[in-house]
Amino acid sequence: MTFAQAIIRRNRLTPSYIIVTILLIALVVTGAIVSDRFLSWRNISNLFQQMSVLGLASLGQTFVILLGGIDLSVGSIVSAATVFLANFLDWRPDLVWVAIPFALAAAAGIGALNGYLSVRLRVHPLIVTLGMSSIIFGSSLSYRKEPGGSIPPGFDVLAFGSLWGVPIPAIALFGAFAIAGVWLQRSRSGRSLYFVGGGFENARLNGLPVTRITTGVYALSGFCAGLAAIFLVAKTGVGDPRIGAALTLQSITPVVVGGTILAGGRGGVFGTFLGVLLVSMLNNLLNFSGVSSYYQWVLQGVIILIAVGLRDKGGES
Amino acid sequence: MTAPVIRLTGIEKSYPGVKSLDNVDFAVAPGEIHALLGENGAGKSTLTAVMGGAVKPNAGTIEYLGRNVVWRSPKEAQAAGIHVIHQELALFPELTVAENILLTEQPRGPLGLISPKARLKRVQSALDRLGVSIPASARIGDLTLADQQMVEIAKALVGEPRLLVFDEPTAVIAGREVDLLFDNMRKMRSLGIGIVYISHRLDEIFEVADRVTILKDGKLVGTHPIGSLTRDDMINLMVGRRLEQIFPPRPAKPTQGQVVLAVDRLSAGDRVKDVSLSVREGEIVAIAGMVGSGRTEVAEAVFGARAVESGAISIDGEAIPRPGPRQSIGRGVGFLTEDRKDKGLFLGLSVASNIVAPALDEITRNGLLDRSKESDIARRQISGFSIAAPSPETRVGALSGGNQQKVLFSRWARIADRLLILDEPTRGVDVGAKVEIYRMIRSLADQGVAVLMISSELAEVVGLADRVVVMAQGRVAGELYGDDVSEESVMRLAVHTQDRGTAGTIQ
Amino acid sequence: MDMTQEANPSDLSLPAPKASAFLERYALLAFLVVMIGFAALVSPTFLHPANLLNVLTIAAPLGMVVLGQTFALLVRGLDLSVASLMATVAVLATAFRASSNGMIPVIFVAAILFSALVGLINGWLIAKRGVSPFLATLATMIILQGARFAYTGGAPISTLPPGMRTLATGRFLGLPINLWTLAAMALALGALLHKSRFGREIYMVGGNPKAAKLVGLSPDRVVIACYVICSICAGIGGLFLLGYVGTVSNWVGQGYELDSIVAAVMGGVALSGGRGGVGGALLGVAVLIVVGNLVILLGLPIDVQLIIKGVIIIGAAALYRTKLV
Repeated sequence: MTFAQAIIRRNRLTPSYIIVTILLIALVVTGAIVSDRFLSWRNISNLFQQMSVLGLASLGQTFVILLGGIDLSVGSIVSAATVFLANFLDWRPDLVWVAIPFALAAAAGIGALNGYLSVRLRVHPLIVTLGMSSIIFGSSLSYRKEPGGSIPPGFDVLAFGSLWGVPIPAIALFGAFAIAGVWLQRSRSGRSLYFVGGGFENARLNGLPVTRITTGVYALSGFCAGLAAIFLVAKTGVGDPRIGAALTLQSITPVVVGGTILAGGRGGVFGTFLGVLLVSMLNNLLNFSGVSSYYQWVLQGVIILIAVGLRDKGGES
Repeated sequence: MTAPVIRLTGIEKSYPGVKSLDNVDFAVAPGEIHALLGENGAGKSTLTAVMGGAVKPNAGTIEYLGRNVVWRSPKEAQAAGIHVIHQELALFPELTVAENILLTEQPRGPLGLISPKARLKRVQSALDRLGVSIPASARIGDLTLADQQMVEIAKALVGEPRLLVFDEPTAVIAGREVDLLFDNMRKMRSLGIGIVYISHRLDEIFEVADRVTILKDGKLVGTHPIGSLTRDDMINLMVGRRLEQIFPPRPAKPTQGQVVLAVDRLSAGDRVKDVSLSVREGEIVAIAGMVGSGRTEVAEAVFGARAVESGAISIDGEAIPRPGPRQSIGRGVGFLTEDRKDKGLFLGLSVASNIVAPALDEITRNGLLDRSKESDIARRQISGFSIAAPSPETRVGALSGGNQQKVLFSRWARIADRLLILDEPTRGVDVGAKVEIYRMIRSLADQGVAVLMISSELAEVVGLADRVVVMAQGRVAGELYGDDVSEESVMRLAVHTQDRGTAGTIQ
Repeated sequence: MDMTQEANPSDLSLPAPKASAFLERYALLAFLVVMIGFAALVSPTFLHPANLLNVLTIAAPLGMVVLGQTFALLVRGLDLSVASLMATVAVLATAFRASSNGMIPVIFVAAILFSALVGLINGWLIAKRGVSPFLATLATMIILQGARFAYTGGAPISTLPPGMRTLATGRFLGLPINLWTLAAMALALGALLHKSRFGREIYMVGGNPKAAKLVGLSPDRVVIACYVICSICAGIGGLFLLGYVGTVSNWVGQGYELDSIVAAVMGGVALSGGRGGVGGALLGVAVLIVVGNLVILLGLPIDVQLIIKGVIIIGAAALYRTKLV
């Protein structure tokens, strides 16, 4: 093993982290050149505020992908949760502390159903979550076809407020990722993800309660989607059944770019965090430079390919 | 006799269409190594699954440590002290040795969080106590198969087992590692653990077992102390008929045919350092050596499936300009790979498709497949090799291991009219099928094919080969032929240079 | 994505008993027949020729995409860029809107060439660069989207090349032209898969890429070819969808990528590769379309339609129980 490889192995740096970090540095440098406001505190806090929704959704997706599965219902759960919250709070603005737990519980419940069905029915999670996405989307539409509802005054502090100068969404984001990171590496339930992801049947043979773990992880993904919805509705002020449509595929990109492979069993939330940062910063930079959103898309696709294509062949599965 | 660790009585297990176990009795005493023998499909795996709690019998009782038990899950059996070490190790390649051994029982630190340091310490000290010299922080995927198996054993031992079942453990290790394994098994035996040993290798059973139970077609044939049976007796009981000879006779005069394969100072990757060998028409040359000595890599290089750094390979005197499997096949070279499922067979396709796989040109006309020709070819192979498949269209995945191996064998034997490379041709194959395969190999050689055979089974090497090339650590340690060939002489060469392997013994 | 991988019980090699294998293969067909029967019962207009023809006309472009998607799935991949490609091809076709009818073959050729190029890129990324199919095709999807929107400036185009509309909605011998096209494609691709040497190579590469290499095949070439086929099918589907819909919004074919995967998987094409075929895939499309039509005929609102669709997706897949070897 060469010296460089040894350093990389010892510090658990993966090629993905290195590539993404390099790209990030490139972005920061480009941004600083393009505009001196890019690195301003205001822009940075703006950036983190925007990152929160994608970040939380990607966090949930990370768990599921680590398990070897995928969650295509993230977008519709987020939309449905915003519809629920906005309309409930429109009706009873005083019951914020009822609405939020209920939304989270419902989101987690849908996720749990996803996980449970995929194990018991032996259907690939791609199919289960896709079907569920349709069901949830339909349900949201049946309640309300257009954006609507409202949030009580002060609710938007979740999206726009800050604590000791740090935007609240950023605190939530960092906090969620930090807790998730510790949980994955240092707790029994967290480690069990790596076992199940590293070999579903193997895990079962070794006595792990695979059904329970799978159900729980998808519930977690749903929960994260619910969290994302809270911050989203705090920002937009309305519930919109279509708002999360693009979020599903968007939540997968940072996970994979960050080094968690789609086959499961390898990776973690730190990589996802870097991935979210990369994607969001790219959007931010492109907005700054006035590049039309159409070219932004093109660039996003290219960046994904660079980040992934530079990994050595076989790094992805 | 002292009370058995486990006693199964009248076990029955049926699957749709097949009775896997038919009124089987089986008992293991504490401090005994009890071999379980039988052809593939005889019921050994099912019996193991019943003992280990993975499968519930339709009838019969299990008495464990004096109590009647009914296992509801493997975890229950494990908690009670029964551990099964499967041939396909149940390890997680991305995780470390420590995590694999402790699984869900990892030690916690002050905040209730798992402490990797404590975990490492606990496992390392357990490994040290057991005398295993594998670092607890190593990633499983980086370890050799032999070491991985050692981790599995350590995992089982950490749980203080009373009954250990080894399912074909020597399928992936050889030579010194096998000796180490047996040493460990004997030590465990002396601790009072009951051990069940499943293997097809009769020599090993003679070497290490105390008693042997033979199953045939799901029924119990008999249980005998090892001293009371000869090898022939055992085969007879397993197969139900007398097998005159396991290894076909060698031709009277050693062959002087033309050299088909000439390898000169081959170097490829870090497993093959400087290898020269040759094989003539009609010769069976075996490459012996321990796991990791580079044999498979040499075979891959010869076939064109591995890049060569230096050295020359020539077939019939000519080097292949841009080596690759297709070119080799075109020159009449075939390569039966070590792991038939991983790199050999297309489990979802039919027997016929598998057989013609390297020779699609033969059944292609104007871009379309000639299915009837394919069927004809397959039928001929099926009958020629006595493959037990209902029809050429049967899915290969549905066949037994021995028959799958025969399909793979027939695929390559058919097109290899100059050189046939075999890597562990009888792995996971029962005695009956083994004998057939040996006969086929010899008959191919008699027809003028040069055969290069890699094998970890010394009996096979000694019994079948005309010449033996022994490799150790990427180099040729020596060549043996004629009367010089014996299991001892082969082993001596194979361990000649100190092996750097990290497999350990248990103290 | 190998969550539902099953253990291979080491030599418990029992041939699948006849009854359950039969059921597996025909379960979906039975389901379809039941659905059709049910539809005929609850809605008198279902079996009406006009309705059936309408249904088949709408289904054809999706069917074309599914045919292509099957090839990607067979080599252990999937293609998320198909919908975006459909829309991009549709947009490109409108560049010919000022031309004459005689240009239609030219439009088709251009569409096929463009699609083939996209397929080549996808295939190259996946086979030669080792990028996961999910990411590679997601990236091309996004890039195509950006290019397309940049070209149209985000606005829909409502003039089509002349003749496209008639092609997509016209009849030949009483049946819609696009249905004939679908049938022709299905027959050709089906023959390719099941009767040709290349088709056999596809199943081998998809079933066991390592073994395929060792028997002298070239998996990279096969994989790239499959993605090219997939993209071409999507491109042709895009042209027919364009003609049918009549205007080109930038979102033509939206959702077809996931729908096509679902239809194929329901029809027995395994996500893990090497299993399934054209017949099954079309069966999957048929189920989706029949259910879709039924809910429309029943006058069910869009939200209920979506819910039913979701349930059907999960139910049909559970019914087929794709066993991943």
